[in-house]
Amino acid sequence: MKEVTDFDAIVVGSGMTGGWAAKELTELGLRTLVLEAGRAITPERDFVEHKPPWDMPFRGLGDRRTVAARQPTQSHSVSFDEWSHVFWTDDADNPYSTPADRPFYWFRARQVGGKSTIWSRQVYRLSDLDFEANVRDGIAIDWPIRYADIAPWYDHVERFIGVSGQAEGLAHLPDGQFLPPMAMNCVEQHVKERMRAHFGRDRMLTIGRAANLTVPHLGRAPCHYCGPCHRGCITLSYFSSINATLPAAQATGRLTLRPFSVVRSLIHNPQKNRVTGVHVIDAVTKTDRVYTARIVFLCASALESARILLNSGLANSSDQVGRNIMDHIKWGGANGDFEGWTNRREIGERPNGIYVPRFRNVASRHPDFIRGYGFQGAASRGGWGDALRAPGIGAALKARVAQLGPWSMSLWGFGETLPRPTNRATLHPTLVDRWGIPTLHIECQWSDNELAIHRDMNVTAAELLESAGAKNIEPSSSVPSTPGGTNHEMGSARMGRDPKTSVLNGWNQSWDVRNVFVTDGAAMTSSGCQNPSLTYMALTARACHYAVEQMKRGDL
Amino acid sequence: MERRELIQWLVATAGLQTLDTLDASDLLALGRDVHRSGGTRALSPLAKNNVSVAAERILPGAGAAGVTPFIDKMLADWYTPDERRRFLAGLPELDAKSRARAGLDFLACGEADQIAVLTALDDEVTALRAARGSAANQHWFAMLKYLTVYGWCTSEAGMRALGLFPLPGRYDGCAPV
Repeated sequence: MKEVTDFDAIVVGSGMTGGWAAKELTELGLRTLVLEAGRAITPERDFVEHKPPWDMPFRGLGDRRTVAARQPTQSHSVSFDEWSHVFWTDDADNPYSTPADRPFYWFRARQVGGKSTIWSRQVYRLSDLDFEANVRDGIAIDWPIRYADIAPWYDHVERFIGVSGQAEGLAHLPDGQFLPPMAMNCVEQHVKERMRAHFGRDRMLTIGRAANLTVPHLGRAPCHYCGPCHRGCITLSYFSSINATLPAAQATGRLTLRPFSVVRSLIHNPQKNRVTGVHVIDAVTKTDRVYTARIVFLCASALESARILLNSGLANSSDQVGRNIMDHIKWGGANGDFEGWTNRREIGERPNGIYVPRFRNVASRHPDFIRGYGFQGAASRGGWGDALRAPGIGAALKARVAQLGPWSMSLWGFGETLPRPTNRATLHPTLVDRWGIPTLHIECQWSDNELAIHRDMNVTAAELLESAGAKNIEPSSSVPSTPGGTNHEMGSARMGRDPKTSVLNGWNQSWDVRNVFVTDGAAMTSSGCQNPSLTYMALTARACHYAVEQMKRGDL
Repeated sequence: MERRELIQWLVATAGLQTLDTLDASDLLALGRDVHRSGGTRALSPLAKNNVSVAAERILPGAGAAGVTPFIDKMLADWYTPDERRRFLAGLPELDAKSRARAGLDFLACGEADQIAVLTALDDEVTALRAARGSAANQHWFAMLKYLTVYGWCTSEAGMRALGLFPLPGRYDGCAPV
């Protein structure tokens, strides 16, 4: 049978946003081709969250030599381990460069599902504190949208993906369509109450808002608390494109999913100023293929989508493609011990922690920095991991290994990054990937504002723990994370109000080439401090509906 | 050992995909090698036995939980050549210290002497840790003890004993101990 090569829509990428584009566009009636650079994933075969450590060659310590040779960058991700390493790219096949003194971690996932399989599932809405931030501070450019524009789309996405969380009524961290929240443990509950007594609502603690189900939802089972979500989930209990959006798209009968399809560039018709299709290199045979469509959605992840635009020489009259790269700065925070509750323990592995919403520069003004940060963390009791270097041998050591440690609580900040044009990815003049496609040179570093935020995290995390009566409080001694290291890279094809200073309009649509949409993290005009995937998904769904309306009106 | 059983064992231990390409003399030689090493790749038969007994004394149950093959695997495929050499060069200290103490090799000593030797090595590492912090982790006995504890805690027997397996299938953040 001859392969179909012409579609109504092409979506590049099958992860967080590609899955949403596939679902929305097919449900709106478009015959849609999803191109994925990597392999297909079969949950029954590839999801390994229940594989115990004794079935792993290195018991969870990882294949050190192979990782050093093939995944030295990817292995820095917090969700990279001996089980999940197959969900990250091979660094040797997928090179990029940075200045020697300014590393940037570009974490990449090339398989169906993309990074939606290995994400941390924390979902928080942005608010007008974020959408108005640039114009209020007089930096960069204004977002072309406000909270009211995206709020219905947050609802739309949350209702489908399933978000467990607690409504708190905060204006700057809007509530969503929540399933029942996960439980706090006894120490977290205590800290929450003590913080309320000490700080009122200025600094508060809530259970993390997580795309993990607490009740059955749209045919998916609730979480069974096995713990390592990033290795997959055979019960489909957290949101990923494999678990939810791609099956929904498949059910329409209008989805064609093509793995092993590396997109080299978009094909442009200069007479009509439209993209007519996509130039693909088959990942296995390395042969060229062309697929055509009326519209193209780039959902390849922020830097990959920018790379495709740069390799296409398109949509960049503003010279903003590849610029304004943001992430979230982390590794500031603190840890403290809690006396008591020695007769209490956690049972099960909760795939979620607590959240302290941003409190800096909300109602007051901090002298050292603009914007702010939120804390994520958890209280827990130490286990055998703390006894690996304990003194003693024999029965005494065995008893020590089995002993639960004291309760302690950690808070880790996630700080907003400012958009700056000099934090930039450009096409490397000579370096290419395994498929001969020019790759990126990335120059990115924190500014004084991010570094001031990072220092402040240590101070306030210690204050919060102290207010709750923690002992042995230790502020973080970690240096700031490496840019990219939080895996929240964004901003490389930003939305705006003016074609001269932005790549996309308020509908994630290219100003220059109207049938190209970019709906992954590239579109972000500022970073907020919230985990961003929910916003990417909402922007994607919103852009899909806009695009189809435009097509129906004959404007696309 | 039956030939069929031997071949299955060879495939399992030497990781051979197929034995079709080997002639009878190759097979015999391979069999002798594997017999001589007791199926291990980094540890000699003596080292293997020393590690097994020491592991059991360090953490009772560790030997039965199979930490020795794990330690051998780590030495063969995970540690750097320097780390492996340091471990293998240090291991004969078990015999040296046993002979100094009881006039017998480690394996020939009674349980009390074996424990005394291991306790002395553990004290050495503890003192080193007090003086030099995590640099003590490089001591060969610190490696052996770490691998023993880690290996037991990630074995099925260990995880069952620690209440970490099977999974409870629920979350309770304030359960009685």
